[in-house]
Amino acid sequence: MEEKIISKENLLKLCSDLLKNNVDVITPGEKGYVKIKNENEVALNSKTKHTKASFKEYIFPKSEPIIYYKKNQNDVEIIEPKVEEKTTVIFGAKPCDIRSINILSKIFNWDYKDEFFNVRANNTVLIGLMCEYADEFCFCTSVNLSPTSVEGSDIFLLPLDENNFAVRIVTEKGTNFLKSYENYLTPGNTEKSKAVEAAVKQPEKVFDAEKVKEWITGNFESEYWNSVGRMCLGCAQCAFVCPVCHCFDIVDEDYNYSEGRRMKNWDGCQFDMFTKHASGHNPRNDQTKRYRQRISHKFKYYPDKFDEILCTGCGRCSRGCPVSIDIKGIVTEINELAKA
Amino acid sequence: MENIYKPYLMEVKEVITETPDTTTFRLQFKDPEVAKSFNFKAGQFGEYSVFGEGECTFCIASSPTRMEFLECSFKKYGKVTSALARLNVGDTIGLRGPYGNHFPIDEMKGKNVVFIAGGIGLAPVRCIIDNVLDLREEFKDINIIYGARSVADLVYKNLLKEWQERKDIKTFVTVDPGGETPDWKGEIGFVPTVVEKIAPKSENTVAIICGPPIMIKYTMPVLSKLGFKDEDVITTLENRMKCGLGKCGRCNIGNVYVCKDGPVFNYKQMKDLPQEF
Amino acid sequence: MNEINTIAKELLTSGKVNAVIGYIRYGNDKRTKPFIAQKPEEADKFVINKFILNNLAVYLTREEITKLGKIGIIAKGCDIKAIVALIQESQIKRDDVYIIGVNCSGVTNDFDIDFNAETVAGKCLNCEVKSPKLFDVTVGTLEDIPQGEDKKLKMIRGVEAMNSEERWDFFEEEFDKCIKCYACRQACPLCYCEQCIVDKSIPRWIESSASKRGNFSWNLIRAFHLSGRCIGCNECERVCPMDIPLSLLNRKMAMVTKDDFNYVSGMDVNAPTLVGSYDLKDNEDFIE
Repeated sequence: MEEKIISKENLLKLCSDLLKNNVDVITPGEKGYVKIKNENEVALNSKTKHTKASFKEYIFPKSEPIIYYKKNQNDVEIIEPKVEEKTTVIFGAKPCDIRSINILSKIFNWDYKDEFFNVRANNTVLIGLMCEYADEFCFCTSVNLSPTSVEGSDIFLLPLDENNFAVRIVTEKGTNFLKSYENYLTPGNTEKSKAVEAAVKQPEKVFDAEKVKEWITGNFESEYWNSVGRMCLGCAQCAFVCPVCHCFDIVDEDYNYSEGRRMKNWDGCQFDMFTKHASGHNPRNDQTKRYRQRISHKFKYYPDKFDEILCTGCGRCSRGCPVSIDIKGIVTEINELAKA
Repeated sequence: MENIYKPYLMEVKEVITETPDTTTFRLQFKDPEVAKSFNFKAGQFGEYSVFGEGECTFCIASSPTRMEFLECSFKKYGKVTSALARLNVGDTIGLRGPYGNHFPIDEMKGKNVVFIAGGIGLAPVRCIIDNVLDLREEFKDINIIYGARSVADLVYKNLLKEWQERKDIKTFVTVDPGGETPDWKGEIGFVPTVVEKIAPKSENTVAIICGPPIMIKYTMPVLSKLGFKDEDVITTLENRMKCGLGKCGRCNIGNVYVCKDGPVFNYKQMKDLPQEF
Repeated sequence: MNEINTIAKELLTSGKVNAVIGYIRYGNDKRTKPFIAQKPEEADKFVINKFILNNLAVYLTREEITKLGKIGIIAKGCDIKAIVALIQESQIKRDDVYIIGVNCSGVTNDFDIDFNAETVAGKCLNCEVKSPKLFDVTVGTLEDIPQGEDKKLKMIRGVEAMNSEERWDFFEEEFDKCIKCYACRQACPLCYCEQCIVDKSIPRWIESSASKRGNFSWNLIRAFHLSGRCIGCNECERVCPMDIPLSLLNRKMAMVTKDDFNYVSGMDVNAPTLVGSYDLKDNEDFIE
């Protein structure tokens, strides 16, 4: 993996160049991931707290049309929406956020390729930033990640000192992207960057994901699930702020009697309507069953199918939960049950 | 940009009212190019849409050996099915598909087959029945056992007559006790009871079963007693599905996405799933 | 063992209630989260502190909780207003709940900072129910609530001063952020409809999409359905992951109902609800 160095000044110049070239630059700010208008808004501080929501909506929008339809007497015309192939740069996301695109890509390309996702993901350059935040909700190290993990990034930045960043060029996309900005880069210093990396405080690993998966496999009917989802209110806050939750709904919306569009909207397994059949039968008819599905899907079903844990340990769901349901605590408890 | 969510346009060529709340549509592709290239296997399903109302999941009820029309049968339950029930000949609907896996017709060749269905459950099984009948010589003994609550609730009445008139298969139609009309000549009794009475032999036989959960619950022990192994009993799972493409997460049960790994499962696979469907 | 633990334990041991809903500590912090105790020893976990933010009345209309039998609930003055409103609307009976009222001196969402006029929750500033009005027993001692600037009121006056177009733009910008997670609805004790209007699909009244139209319709219809009913616990605003100032609309509507109909929700169990009753003296000057 090639490594270079960039000064803070040049990084801002790079950003400014991107903005001048009409590239969307999205960075984590105080109000969440936002499109910046000025290069000084870009996130370069590795010590900031996570944003409330992930940047998922820029690649997998919260609501988007998949077809438009026009009715004319008995006939129907279908118009397909086009996803703009606009270059977008996600600038300064933590490893737990950046990794999400790889994880989501697996299901969005399982046999059928969802081009609404792919076109956006292919045109997005992911620039990660080392994380020095870590609070009691974080657990990236328990899900095979770390504050310095480059997995999922095209380019990864590590702050070497006040004014300089190490630039790890992880993918071919990253290499191609930086070709236009070669003059901003200077030769890398891997000794220094490795030292910085080693000094980052890693959150303590609190559970073994394999053991958790094993326990979930054999314990569908366990009493434990009754206590876990009890206080859950049944909103979808956790699913919607999560970088990797991806369940969606397909609904038709009319503009008038003859025209309309079919929308793909975020949906969540915690809603009671999620598995409700038209006949009225609901296989997951209480909150504890729905919460069991959330944990099982993230830590067993998705890993079994796609070899990825459907969780990056960012802790957003727990930080934002109205009733403080803490996923780290729950999975740690399962780990204890598994050991017993 | 390829759009996996874009439906084919279908024209409703015929509307058949099976029972007061069940309808069958005979559909044709509006685009002749698509009609030529479209292919599917018995057991696969599609997402049928009424533009403006939404999409709904049904199996493709006709056999792939008869490609003049695609048929689907549905019962009026909610928003989309009610909208479908209001349509007439000449209207346009959408179809996305074919999705899912299919009945293992190749593994069934050379064996006896017994089809057991109840109520609207005959619709998902009818495609494989017709498919097997169109290739009759490749299978040994064929038994069809079908029941509904009453004579009025029987679906595909014309098909039942056709099957009963064939000499190379055995067809038994039953209604629940109390559901018969004065001139009813068929069996009277719940489906599990009739299966027990007919006692199809289990050696070298595949059983295909579909119907309301309660019918399956009581028929399975009967089949077990007759010697059927769980792997030889096949069913198709009606579940809440939305995208049909294995992405939206709605049909996920355990390690399985019903729209991709199913909807056809054998009974052993069904027993391994967490019981939440 | 504190007063609250003794009371809760006694209620469970004596069988006066089948379960007690309250707050327990979690993590290393003074932070709290809701908890339901069914065994007497579980009552030891309850705490009362400055961080008991949740409105636990939201659980009183959930079947999973009510089927347990008579419920004891640890409730601040604002939470009790929700219980009163639920009784007014015949959703629960007074005898179904045992109210452990908390003498409350304000709560805060800021765990790391000192509790003072800057950090106290906005809703506490004009609290009239520090000392609970409806209860079976009370706990805690009253202290003064630090008084600070009512930022929300200032915001309301700011929006009132805008003209129609500016107001539309203001709300459009706010509602664009909405992701339709319905955390506001699920956390609200008065959003107890078995089938919410946004979930009705035959016909589709309110779009479920997080589009401009879907977001506007949803947030406005919720504000309308809460008019005259909202008791101002501000849970909706606290739980919104996108920081939409939801209490603006709800508080404004509460001000309107007070001015026009002299009605404040959640103060009197015996009072008829505003939208469920009429008075011949009701304001009619908008009819011409």
